Amino acid sequence: MMIRKKMDSKAFARHKMKKRRLLTFYRIVRYGFENFIRNSWLSVAATAVMTITLLIVFIVAASRFILTDTISDLGDKVDMSIYLKTDTTDEVGNELKAEVEALSSVKSVTYISANEARDQIAQENSDNSAVLDAIKVATNMNPATLRVVVKDINDTSELEKFVSNDDLVKEHLNADYAPSFAGERRDTIKSIGRVVNFIQEIGIIVGVVFVAISSLIIFNTISMAIFNRREEIQMMNLIGANKSFVRGPFLIESIIYGLIAALIASGIGLWGLYKSSGILASYEVSVQPTIDLASKYIVVVVLAMIAVGSIIGIISSTLATRKYLKS
Amino acid sequence: MILLDRVTKTYGKDLSPALDRVSLFIEPREFVVLIGTSGAGKSTLLKLLTREEKPNSGKIVVGGIDYDTLKDNQIPMLRRKIGVVFQDFKLLPQRTVFENIAFALEIAGMTRHEIKSTVPKVIELVGLNGKEKQFPHQLSGGERQRVAIARAVVRQPKILIADEPTGNLDPKHSWDIIRLLEKINKYGTTVLLTTHNVDIVNKLKRRVITLDHGKVTGDQAEGSYRQ
Repeated sequence: MMIRKKMDSKAFARHKMKKRRLLTFYRIVRYGFENFIRNSWLSVAATAVMTITLLIVFIVAASRFILTDTISDLGDKVDMSIYLKTDTTDEVGNELKAEVEALSSVKSVTYISANEARDQIAQENSDNSAVLDAIKVATNMNPATLRVVVKDINDTSELEKFVSNDDLVKEHLNADYAPSFAGERRDTIKSIGRVVNFIQEIGIIVGVVFVAISSLIIFNTISMAIFNRREEIQMMNLIGANKSFVRGPFLIESIIYGLIAALIASGIGLWGLYKSSGILASYEVSVQPTIDLASKYIVVVVLAMIAVGSIIGIISSTLATRKYLKS
Repeated sequence: MILLDRVTKTYGKDLSPALDRVSLFIEPREFVVLIGTSGAGKSTLLKLLTREEKPNSGKIVVGGIDYDTLKDNQIPMLRRKIGVVFQDFKLLPQRTVFENIAFALEIAGMTRHEIKSTVPKVIELVGLNGKEKQFPHQLSGGERQRVAIARAVVRQPKILIADEPTGNLDPKHSWDIIRLLEKINKYGTTVLLTTHNVDIVNKLKRRVITLDHGKVTGDQAEGSYRQ
């Protein structure tokens, strides 16, 4: 009987403690919301800075996606041509195509026969009668061509090795036209590769710098907001509030800044992306895959922005309140 | 009960001590006035009692709590047992009179029901009926100090520390505050008051402890201000 009574009182104490903790949590959240509303000017300023920060994060992330897609598109457009003899049959052409395609560094190969090449020139110059007439009277044939897209435009060594060693290729290689990865075009292709790498590296550095600077700005804003209320913190501390009770509402406020800022920044960011897609596309910038991705995962995008905003806010207010909370 | 046994506090190595081997004993329910010029060590003594500062040596026991055994996470609990009133009130500017007082109970985890029944009684005690919904900036200095006192006593502490509570008030409001402190003392709370106000010290006829250069230089049962 005694033991049971003791157990009951223990359970009751535990229940009371749990209830008290819940009550304290509720109060921290309530204080956070009340402070956000009552310190409206401060809240507007902090939310605005947070919005700019998150917008920069959004732009950096979107730029990275767009850059990667554009570079990938660019890489696909840079094809290398292996010119074959004019009398190469389609059978041999297709056999060579299959062999080149089998190389691990090759993404795709298109075989264009001599006749197709001629038709293609005619089509590309359909409004130029002089060229069309010249084609009609020309007795020489266009060379059949293998157009090769490699996975990495900086790495053509495997392809070069294959062209110079494979007997079948050597047999049908056009003596008048060197493969385009050799000679002048080779340098152009290589320099495109270098530029692409450089842009990617710079993109990462610029992104990190921007995000770091804007995080510092938001940290500064929150620090100043908390500095303004340092006496409140000290007073709460002195009348016996736990550190978590003092710090909690500031964290909640920061999360609210992050939440609202994330919604605004996502809205502006996505709107900007849609609006600029036409202009960017006209400059051959591959923006559509990023728009498709963002539209498909819009909830994830917004949640990620909220998470980033809240984390920056929480870290900032934790650091900023710490110096006023030294018992 | 407040006990200080040979308490020394030094802020810098080369500076003379702010408190130098101070020993004091204050009985429960006493009303004690602590006086001294600026820099005499009054603020340091109060900061030691609220554990804002730690002594370099000596023993402090307040309300049965030995500060030597006090852990950092127990400090909030200690402060909930001591009411503190400041010269500059230290109210929450964005909160109403009711909310400022209720805050002291909310941090202690009291329920809404308990708060709703306790706060009005304290508001009545300090004479602020009808001002519950006003914000601090809408109140006079005397009224603000009453809110601060209400917040300090709402948890019914055994000890109330009033650090220059009349420092920012005119004579009439100063006496209102002193009368209020006397009333709180009459209900059983030990009051430790620091003041520079000669008139208050002389007319109160209470125990007066004088500090000078960190040392206790006087302790009179019904003291007065000796210029």
